[in-house]
Amino acid sequence: MSELFPKAATYGLAGCHTCGKVSPVALGHCPRCGSHLHLRKSNSIQRTVALMIAAATLYIPANLLPIMTVVELGDVTENTIVGGMITFWKSGAYPIAIVIFTASILIPLLKIVALTWLCLAATGKLHPSPSMLGRVYWFTELMGRWSMVDIFVVGILVALVQLGNYMTITPGPGALAFAGVVVITMFAAMSFEPRLLWDRLAMLDDTPSPSNPSDL
Amino acid sequence: MHPWPKPPGGPHYSVCHFCDTLHDATALPEGKAARCKCCGAVLYQNRPASLARANAFSISALILMVVVHSFPFLVMDAAGIRTSLNLASAAKALIHEGSPMLGIALAFFTIVTPLVLAGGLVYVCAPLLIGKKAPGAMIVAKWMNKTEPWNMIEVFLLGVLVSLLKLSKVADVHFGIGFWAFGALMLCMAAAVAGIDRDELWDRLEVAKR
Ligand SMILES: [Zn+2]
Ligand SMILES: [Zn+2]
Repeated sequence: MSELFPKAATYGLAGCHTCGKVSPVALGHCPRCGSHLHLRKSNSIQRTVALMIAAATLYIPANLLPIMTVVELGDVTENTIVGGMITFWKSGAYPIAIVIFTASILIPLLKIVALTWLCLAATGKLHPSPSMLGRVYWFTELMGRWSMVDIFVVGILVALVQLGNYMTITPGPGALAFAGVVVITMFAAMSFEPRLLWDRLAMLDDTPSPSNPSDL
Repeated sequence: MHPWPKPPGGPHYSVCHFCDTLHDATALPEGKAARCKCCGAVLYQNRPASLARANAFSISALILMVVVHSFPFLVMDAAGIRTSLNLASAAKALIHEGSPMLGIALAFFTIVTPLVLAGGLVYVCAPLLIGKKAPGAMIVAKWMNKTEPWNMIEVFLLGVLVSLLKLSKVADVHFGIGFWAFGALMLCMAAAVAGIDRDELWDRLEVAKR
C-alpha cells in the first residue's frame, strides 16, 4: 500500500498549508510564502481533544441559558435554543424547526462525536475504513459554520424588534456561550491532523517504500 | 489545453492535504481537476478563464457590498413603528443591547471577512492579468487563506429567512433591496473564491514580476 501511494513525509517533503508548494521540511519555512513547514501539525490530538472538552462544557450553558429575552407589554420571556425550536414545531412550521434542530443541536453534537471518533481512530483505538474517514473529516471541516445561524437570528431580532413599551428583544448569555461552542469546534476541526489517520493505516501495512521521489 | 505557467525549476509535486500522498503536479486541461490516487480528494484544478473570472466576480462582489450596506434587508412595521435591518445595524444592536462580543463576531463573519476575501482577490488577481505582482500580494493571499473559513454570508442569509418566519406572526415584515443584493453577493463570493485554484494563484504569484 505505501508502495502504491508514496507519502510525502517518507521523503522528508511537506506540502505548505498556505500555498501548497512541496518543499523539504528541513527548510523550516516555505520558500514561497514563508509559512512554517511541518510534516504533521504538532500536538494535533492533544489540542483537538482539549478544544473539544472546552466546547462540550460550553455546550451545557449554551443550551440552558436564554439566548434572548423578549419583553412584550411588560411580560418577560426567556428563550432558549431548544425552546425556540419547539415553538416553531408547535406552530406547524416544521421545515424551519428542522433547520434550527439541524444547525443548532445536531451539527454541534455530531461534530463533537465525529472529532472524538477521529481522535480515537488517529490514536489507533478504532479501525474504520478510509472512505468513512474521508466523509467524517469532510463533515467536521465544512458543516460547523452553519451552527452560527441561531446567533445571527438573535442579532437580527435584536436589531429589528426595538418597539419601545410594546416589545423589545435583548441578547442573553446563552448566545455568547453558543457562539463560543461554534468557534471552538471550528478551531478544533482545524487543529486536527487528518494525515495521522493515514499514518495509522500505513502502520498496519508497512511495506518498505522507494527511497527516492523520482521513482514515482 | 491552457495550463497555467509553472515556476522555474522542478520537479513539481503536489501533496494531498488529507492523506499526504505525493503526486507529480502535471498540467491539466481547463475545467479538469487532479484527484488524489489514494483517497480521491481534489489536489488542484485548472479553472477555465480563472484570472478573468476571479476578477470579474470579486469586483461585482465589492460593488454589491456597497448596495448591501446602503439598503435594508428587512423592513418591519409593528405598533406604528418602522424598523429596518442591515448588517451594520444587526452588529450595532448587539453591541448596544449588552453583547458587544457577539456584535463584533457578527461584524467579523459577515462584513470584514467577505471584504478581505473579495478585496484581496482583486488586489492580487488584477495585476496578475498583465503578469505583474502587486506589492505585498503574497501577504494578502496568506490573509485571504486564513479568513476564508470564517466567511459566513450564506449562514447570515439563512438567519434572515428564519427571522422573517419568526416575525411574520407578530408584525408586517418585507424584504428590502439589501436582501436581494446580499443573495447576489453570496453567489458572487462563491464564484470568485472558486474562480481560481489556490495552487494556480500561488504559482502565478511566484512566476509574476514585481
Ligand atoms: Zn507556502
Ligand atoms: Zn489523498
